[in-house]
Amino acid sequence: MQYIGEHLLPGQIGHLLTVLSFVAALLAAVSYFLAVRRRASSEEAGWLLLGRGAFVVHGLATLGVIGSLFLILVNKYYEYQYAWANVSDDLPFQYTFSAFWKEQQGSFLLWSFWHIVLGLILLLRAGRWEAPVLAVLSLVEVFIGSMILGLYIGEYRLGASAFDLLRHTMDAPIFERADYLSQITGNGLNPLLQNYWMTIHPPTLFLGFASTLVPFAYAVAGLWMDEHRGWLKPALPWALFSAAILGLGILMGGAWAYVALSFGGYWAWDPVENTSLVPWITLVAGIHAHLIARNTGYSIRSAYAFYLMTFVLVLYSTYLTRSGILGDSSAHAFTEMGLGAQLIAFIGVFAVLSIVLMAMRSKSIPAPQQEESIASREFWMFIGVLVLLFSAVLITGATSLPVWNKLVQLFKPDYVGAALKDPVAHHNRYQLWIGVFVGLLTGVAQWLRYQERNAALWRRTFGKHMLIALAGATALTALNALWLDVFAWQHFALLFAAMFAVVANADYLISFARKNLKQAGSALSHVGFGVLLLGILSTGLNKRWISSNSFAMEGLIEGMGSDELNKNVLLLKDAPMPIRDYEATYLKDTIERQTRTFAVRFRKRDAQGNFTGEEFVLHPNVMYDRQFSQVVASNPSTKHYLTYDIFTHVSSLPKAELDPEFARQQEDSIRFEAYEAAIGDTIFTKKHYLVLDDYTKAPQHPDYRPEKGDLAFGLKMRAFALGDTVGHAAAPMLYLRPKQGAFTLPAQIGPLQMRVRLTEASLARLLDADESLQYRSLRLKEGETADFEGYRIQLVRLNRNVEHPHYAPESGDIAVAAELRITAPNGTTAEAAPVFLIRDNRSLNLKDEVAKWGLHFRFENIDPSTATMTILAAKASDQVRRIPLEIAENAPRSDYIVLEAIVFPGINLVWLGSLLMLFGLGLSAWNRWTQRRRLEA
Amino acid sequence: MKRSHLIAIAVIAIAIGVLISASQDMTTYANFAQAAEKGDRVKMVGQLVKDRPVEYDPVKDPNYLSFYLRDDAGEVRQVILRAGKPQDFERSEQIVLTGQMRGDVFEASDMLLKCPSKYKDEEVYVRSEKQ
Repeated sequence: MQYIGEHLLPGQIGHLLTVLSFVAALLAAVSYFLAVRRRASSEEAGWLLLGRGAFVVHGLATLGVIGSLFLILVNKYYEYQYAWANVSDDLPFQYTFSAFWKEQQGSFLLWSFWHIVLGLILLLRAGRWEAPVLAVLSLVEVFIGSMILGLYIGEYRLGASAFDLLRHTMDAPIFERADYLSQITGNGLNPLLQNYWMTIHPPTLFLGFASTLVPFAYAVAGLWMDEHRGWLKPALPWALFSAAILGLGILMGGAWAYVALSFGGYWAWDPVENTSLVPWITLVAGIHAHLIARNTGYSIRSAYAFYLMTFVLVLYSTYLTRSGILGDSSAHAFTEMGLGAQLIAFIGVFAVLSIVLMAMRSKSIPAPQQEESIASREFWMFIGVLVLLFSAVLITGATSLPVWNKLVQLFKPDYVGAALKDPVAHHNRYQLWIGVFVGLLTGVAQWLRYQERNAALWRRTFGKHMLIALAGATALTALNALWLDVFAWQHFALLFAAMFAVVANADYLISFARKNLKQAGSALSHVGFGVLLLGILSTGLNKRWISSNSFAMEGLIEGMGSDELNKNVLLLKDAPMPIRDYEATYLKDTIERQTRTFAVRFRKRDAQGNFTGEEFVLHPNVMYDRQFSQVVASNPSTKHYLTYDIFTHVSSLPKAELDPEFARQQEDSIRFEAYEAAIGDTIFTKKHYLVLDDYTKAPQHPDYRPEKGDLAFGLKMRAFALGDTVGHAAAPMLYLRPKQGAFTLPAQIGPLQMRVRLTEASLARLLDADESLQYRSLRLKEGETADFEGYRIQLVRLNRNVEHPHYAPESGDIAVAAELRITAPNGTTAEAAPVFLIRDNRSLNLKDEVAKWGLHFRFENIDPSTATMTILAAKASDQVRRIPLEIAENAPRSDYIVLEAIVFPGINLVWLGSLLMLFGLGLSAWNRWTQRRRLEA
Repeated sequence: MKRSHLIAIAVIAIAIGVLISASQDMTTYANFAQAAEKGDRVKMVGQLVKDRPVEYDPVKDPNYLSFYLRDDAGEVRQVILRAGKPQDFERSEQIVLTGQMRGDVFEASDMLLKCPSKYKDEEVYVRSEKQ
């Protein structure tokens, strides 16, 4: 079949370039490999040149692939599955990036992109390490390239292409039509991913992942070339850079979770989080081993092992998030694409390569004969490295349980599998001790010296600064315990270790490092680590749900006493609700596109319950899907203070707001009773009474958007509970829209569970009223008065500035309003202004009325010769004046939200500490890099 | 003996200790019958029974959710979770719970929903704007 409107060229180019990119990477890997094998021979230069060329071609081809896919997404070519699944016509342009790397293929391309950028820098700068390092990098690119190939080898599909056509991936009758493309539109991006975090977090994280490859490649190169010291210097800035960026990527994930998702925290020990944290931990361990190796010659073996491990762990993390194996233990992972086997091969090759290289060179890796002194920095740093290794092993072990279960099930199919009872508590319990040891070690090791030979001489300085650190840490621990609810001794231990790290490293920074920027990086990082621990403690221990009202909820549920369970509070619209320390009021909600935003006002109360005058409004929102059939995301809103945050999100809505089908059923189940009332009447129902105050042609209703041509009517009413004098406003309305029909918008009186609506009968009465009227004509000059049915009607004046709800001026109109003042027998007055209009040589008139008295007026004619106006007046009979309406008294309330509100004290300490830590790493990377450049120059 | 050997032994000893203590935090996957037998906290995987009532009335209590779950042995029991109802609860195709049996009722302390992948089960959306 010849399909209409398809754009097949970008896909064909993209696919071709994918294959080219893969082949070029393979050629680059082989050439660089041979350049290493033939080094110092005449062939070396040739292979090197070929490797470079191939790598550049690989880079250009990959950029071409990215460009093709981007073109498809920007132009919304829905014939491609990737575009259909991830973008839509109404998706704002800036989210095209998010859509690009949302799926596996796009994120592989992003990863590959960073490898190419890093590879080009290495190609220009790595000097004699270029060939082995780029051989490794190119080999990795071969594997990543294979993931997006989408080539069939027999029955086996190698990789998942980003350029698959929708009609090839899906079997649907619509593809039997040649013009299917005009019938479909894209699915659009998951609203959860439509925010700027999704634009900045993945590129940063993938740069972090990609950069771990550089120390890995250097380590492989060192082992391969059997040069175990030479690589240490050039690899160090790369490792530091990688730790800074990977850390930043992870931190952004935490910040995203905190500010934009309804996790209720920044870290959840989710497998996806864990598997990106673990490589960071091993990388940091590797950097410390690396520093020991650089300064003393010990720990070269460890530096190798950690860098090799880090990259293999990055691959393992890739496997866990992309193979679908985490299934039921992680809330967020990629869509499974059948790449499991390829991913296992990817890990397998590099794990085996690492182990084999380490084994082959185990004899030749140098290490000093003499053991390190117990008073030396390298000794305690190495202990710290072991502690970090412990941390990594524990987290990996617990996170890998699903993998372990699958493995065992291969051999024992009836194995039920193990899982953690409570992952968060488990990780916190063990990682707490990692924090304690690392905190203490950073303080101690910082004040020791490498290769200490004169321990006796240094002892005094060391002792003095340890005393400062101990005293400072004790004082700060006591101070912090004043505002932190520390209740377990383990938490005291962690708090003390954190403060020890802060004081000892700050002291070091002041004493030495300010003179020497090289040292400032490490001391800053360690201070940051201490601050981060304090932040973790304060947010973890003092995180408090304020969205509870144990008084209002008391006794509703049996066995529910514990405050901890009361995390949510129900807020009725406009009804202030006292919650802990605040009074919360749900003020209003507004809908824009698919987002419904709620305004909730918080007013702070003191211990006596009096308002302190401090108040703020938060705007949590929910996002509906495009059919408005369900809520797909609930986005928090947070009030930031320097020392704490108040985090809120809507945790639930009335079912009728979530589910239109249910809302329809509910609407059908409501029993309406018919009433009739004229303006000024009071309607008595079973439990309530309502006063009909007025009738308007310009009504307002939250769900009504006026359009030109509408004919709208609304009532103004007040509803009261029997025996109560507090009225609730109610304004039901209906409108006629040309070509669409009549719509009624009921008024919901939440507190009374009442609903009032106008019906077709009301419409008929309002429209037909005129026909039943007996008009009498009154002839009046300006200022004259006439009597009509006991009312005195005065023509006050004529007004050419016409304002009338049904009058829209057009050019050429001649319009005049007769301003009437009507005085009732009892002396009260009212005004009316019927309009006389000449348009296109036809005379028309627009009526006006005094609804409360049932008086109707038309301005029929002007006699210019006598300056006399003809006004038609009519009084409606009581029967005609009564407007039929319907009232239900069992309407379920749907004007409420269920809110969760959490206070996070010290959240800024988490951000500050992490940023200091990463800034320190970045500073060190920068110093080492520029220092190297200076040396080379 | 060299110090590095001492450290190695200490590391191994600590590792064994930690592993033994960490295994206390483990639990196994179970169905209702096994959970009742064990009496301890377990993990459970099952499906929401869509024709039995899902009870969640935030007007009464926003922290009480009750529903019926069919476990992998086909048994259906009531489950209570003291928390708000997640937005996409009814769409879930699989529910993973942690908790324990109390009488006939499974009291869950946490719940993880697996919803059908947005793009796998969805059908081609036919554009209605073009008339």
